[in-house]
Amino acid sequence: MFTIPQCSPRANYLIHKEEIDRAIARVLESGSYILGDEVEAFEKEFAAEVGVSHAIGVANGTDALQLALRASGVGSGDLVITVSHTAVATVAAIELTGAAPIFADIDPVTYTLEPNTLDGIVKNAPAGRIKAIVPVHLYGHAANMAAILDFAKTHGLMVVEDCAQAHGATFQGRKTGSFGTLASFSFYPTKNLGAIGDGGMVVTNDPDLAQRVRLLREYGWQERYVSYFSGTNSRLDEIQASILRIKLKYLDQENCRRQSIAAKYDKALSGTGLSLPQTASGATHAYHQYVIRTDNRDGLRDYLARHGVGTLIHYPVPVHLQPAYVQDPPALLPETEAISTKILSLPMYPELTDAEIDIVCEHIGAWNG
Amino acid sequence: MIQLVDLNAQYNTIREEITGAIQSVIERSTFVGGDELLEFEREFAGYCGVANCVGVGNGTDALYLVLRALGIGAGDEVITVAHTFIATSEAISMTGARPVFVEIKPNTMLMDPDYLEAAITSRTKAIVPVHLYGQPCEMDAIMEVARRHGLKVIEDGAQAHGAKWRGQRVGSIGDAASFSFYPGKNLGAYGDAGAVVSEDQDLIERVRMLANHGSVNKYTHKMEGVNSRLDGLQAAILRVKLRYLDEWNQSRRRHADFYLESLAGSEIRPPSVHKDALPVWHLFVVRVSDRESFQKKLSDQGIATGIHYPVPLHLQPAYEYLEIPVGRLPVTEKAAAEVVSLPMYPELTNEQLETIVNAITTAKLLSPASR
Repeated sequence: MFTIPQCSPRANYLIHKEEIDRAIARVLESGSYILGDEVEAFEKEFAAEVGVSHAIGVANGTDALQLALRASGVGSGDLVITVSHTAVATVAAIELTGAAPIFADIDPVTYTLEPNTLDGIVKNAPAGRIKAIVPVHLYGHAANMAAILDFAKTHGLMVVEDCAQAHGATFQGRKTGSFGTLASFSFYPTKNLGAIGDGGMVVTNDPDLAQRVRLLREYGWQERYVSYFSGTNSRLDEIQASILRIKLKYLDQENCRRQSIAAKYDKALSGTGLSLPQTASGATHAYHQYVIRTDNRDGLRDYLARHGVGTLIHYPVPVHLQPAYVQDPPALLPETEAISTKILSLPMYPELTDAEIDIVCEHIGAWNG
Repeated sequence: MIQLVDLNAQYNTIREEITGAIQSVIERSTFVGGDELLEFEREFAGYCGVANCVGVGNGTDALYLVLRALGIGAGDEVITVAHTFIATSEAISMTGARPVFVEIKPNTMLMDPDYLEAAITSRTKAIVPVHLYGQPCEMDAIMEVARRHGLKVIEDGAQAHGAKWRGQRVGSIGDAASFSFYPGKNLGAYGDAGAVVSEDQDLIERVRMLANHGSVNKYTHKMEGVNSRLDGLQAAILRVKLRYLDEWNQSRRRHADFYLESLAGSEIRPPSVHKDALPVWHLFVVRVSDRESFQKKLSDQGIATGIHYPVPLHLQPAYEYLEIPVGRLPVTEKAAAEVVSLPMYPELTNEQLETIVNAITTAKLLSPASR
């Protein structure tokens, strides 16, 4: 075990323990455990937080993206542009609809989809088969939504945002999740807004799409026991919704703490030779991860581990190089491949203390990489 | 008001243990995966009498994932019944395979093995018998046909945790079985959850991989999977409840016996049980010809009833593409028009049961000869 872990859902639970324990007890007493009052209330509260009209709770972030795409008509034979530098869930969700991904390279500064690559992709793809773009707001930093939306509009493509790591991040004053036709969120326990189990959400301003996602998440039911189309079973549990309602109240505050932790890292690590995360103008970073780059990444990771500091790599193998996702011909993504051997995620969670940050930075300073 | 199912009544009997189990998961913070899940998988496999179990997100996914792990997909056919919950056929459709519906037996309302042979084609890969209402299907006959044609048998055990066919637990008879732990089930979580059990360890490992994005280890994905996991929290809850399952099933059987005795010979036709079956009465389903007025009369006296299920699957709008006309499955269609579920859960009191039976009697719903 690490003295300072890379993330700590437990620390967050302990901060909110009393409220969370009360919420769990309330749900258990209610006798209603699936799609009841808690999910409905959380959907309303979360929609308001993002600044959209509709939110639909589902079982996890993968399902959220899959159902968002299916609701908007993406399916077999379609192509969807996304990045390879992301959690495999993004690409798995696209493939679960029957569509295939086309990988775009990233902007190495923000680690998000590089809008300048879109034109070449569309020109080289079979005409009319690309249906959507899925930008991923990785590490808590928004993709360049102005350029992406602009491009999508010109080419008649839909935009579905993957916000699994960007609860509360903003771009040009708006929350991520409010730009696309739809957006998906994950509430995996380690997220900025995390349940104590799996959970996810689809958001949209379009009432018809919202209704379609609602049907898809529960057997295509329009009324109980009558299925209008083939759906699935993907529901957010009442217990998790009740916990998320509590944590949502603290999201802004906890994101502020993440920003202040990042500022402390920035200050202490400047001059160490490491590449530090940057924030594009017009964006506010939610710092789901604080990711640095160094040529001797594995050396630094081992050194920190020996000194009790946990780190992670998000992600060591780009999706287009994973055995399950290799394409023929292989995608050429030089920026994605270049950073994958250098990136390292330092400890980042709101409960990390100033003293712990100092310790992490001292170890990095003492490392002779 | 006597409810169809009263989850509170059960929670109140195990509140302290549940609270303790939840606390222990939270304190250790293994919310996804973890020891509680592994322990539950081991215990549930043991309960079913098989070697392996893997927890997944829900019962629909359980059936879907095991079918996929068996390599079933587009172009294949899977035989099941239309008198079941839609999750059964939906799981088949999700793999890309086509559901093929066979008739049920008029007395037990379970898969009729006599219709299997005629439904088998060169594309048939598997049979999914559904142990509906907590009653086991006639597994000997089903297994015999399957073996003769080289087909896999996946038991849908969503409503039959603990039921036995000729002394053998459901889930241990076919090649694999899927279970749901939806809150209202005989073994229910406090949220969505499911599991696959099998003697075949390779099969279970393939399901485990598929359920976790096809990953063999963190961040290396060998095949395209889905995200369908049983929360550690729910696993801890299920471990507590599994200890009571036999006792609860025993109570359900006692209640069923009371119903069967009280309703014998009446125009409210009680369910039949095969002589080789030990049911666990997830639901107690009677058949009446004038269902609407029957339900209304009971509801007026504060007794809830349900219909499982009003629209047979082949007549659902979602399956119009199969082009199965009304009248093709007459036994199924008749059952769907007549079934009514009476209140059934372990915590029902004798007094409540008397009330229900008296309500049926005083409303003159029983023919005079029967009381």
